[in-house]
Amino acid sequence: MENAPKLTELLKAGNEKAIRTVYEEHRNGFLLFAKRYSLGDDEVLDVYQDAIIALCENARKGKLDDLQSSISTYLFSIGKFMIYHRLKKLGKQVTVNDFEQVEMEYELYDEEEQNSKLTLVRNYFSQLGEQCKKVLTLFYYEEKKLDEIQKLLGYTNKDVLKSQKSRCLKQLKDLINK
Amino acid sequence: MNHEELIEKYFAKSLNNDEKSLFDQLMQTNETFREQVVYEEEVQRAITLNERQALKKKLQSFEIKKPKRNYTIWYAAASFAVMLGIGYWTFSNDVDTNAVYEEYYQSYPNVVAPTVRGENSTDIKSEAFYSYDSGDYAKALTLFSKLYDTEKEDYSLFYKSLSLMELKRFDEALSSFEQFDLQKNNGFTPYVKWYKALTLIKLEQKEKAVVLLKELANSTNPMQKMAKELVTELE
Repeated sequence: MENAPKLTELLKAGNEKAIRTVYEEHRNGFLLFAKRYSLGDDEVLDVYQDAIIALCENARKGKLDDLQSSISTYLFSIGKFMIYHRLKKLGKQVTVNDFEQVEMEYELYDEEEQNSKLTLVRNYFSQLGEQCKKVLTLFYYEEKKLDEIQKLLGYTNKDVLKSQKSRCLKQLKDLINK
Repeated sequence: MNHEELIEKYFAKSLNNDEKSLFDQLMQTNETFREQVVYEEEVQRAITLNERQALKKKLQSFEIKKPKRNYTIWYAAASFAVMLGIGYWTFSNDVDTNAVYEEYYQSYPNVVAPTVRGENSTDIKSEAFYSYDSGDYAKALTLFSKLYDTEKEDYSLFYKSLSLMELKRFDEALSSFEQFDLQKNNGFTPYVKWYKALTLIKLEQKEKAVVLLKELANSTNPMQKMAKELVTELE
């Protein structure tokens, strides 16, 4: 294909076909690689999915823009980081040597999943209008600057976007404090 | 720099050293500031976890298609049929135009006038956008039509057409879109083409839609990527 956008760019745009391609391409390799650690099959698959999620998330945040290694190297190092955390979480023995170079710019939010206040915020967020979801997701999740969001969503001026953003935050807060 | 901007930069991860110390200092000393940051961080975590959960579900659905040892052939066949159903319009050449429309149509936001309730309530333009923003498309339609008849501006024609789409009056939406001079090429042009194409799809005039979408796909504009995707899907 001529002028095919790079895979990282497709992932950055959240392209589903690209996500699937990466997922299928590395799945078996990763499962094989993870066999050396004492995790069950379902556990390993779960970890693999979390690694793919982290890859996609970092792509969307633009952290893969200047990626020097290949996507698969990057994915496997995230995977290793995830395995390390999973083993620790399950209270299993971890040989630190094995994970010496594991470091990743990724917030796991492990404890947050049980946080009931946050569950509330999560539910109310899904009730917001589409435009609010879009604006807030671009800003807080993809960590994009307002100028960029303005261009992406076609706002004619930044103040309209700003007031939209504060209105959305306010709306969400009202729902939470209702 | 005001507090709002400081918080904005904090989330965009673009604080410089001075701003960082100011930020830290405010977190220590200013309760309102701290509360706002804590709230926004919570929103950030909520969105992150929602996004991850949605993607997780998608990844898990990739697995459904793979028959496992203990699955009976029928179970596999059934889940494959479900997948086929879900993936129908993606893979089929004979595109279901309704499904495509539902997939791609999203209400176009008000990007022209911030609507603040109470201010200028007599002003038709604010009133029109207020109705549009609150989903009262019938009223929005009346007001935008009135605005367009008096001032002949593109924005009012555009939102008039969009209101017609929202009301599912597609024939009228199309004739409204046809009043645009697409040679003019202003900020609205790519969006006019996009929504006109979607209207055409809904009216089962696929060929005409594809012509418009190709124009979008072949030039740099905010709808280029979406148009490319949709053209591939339609052809």
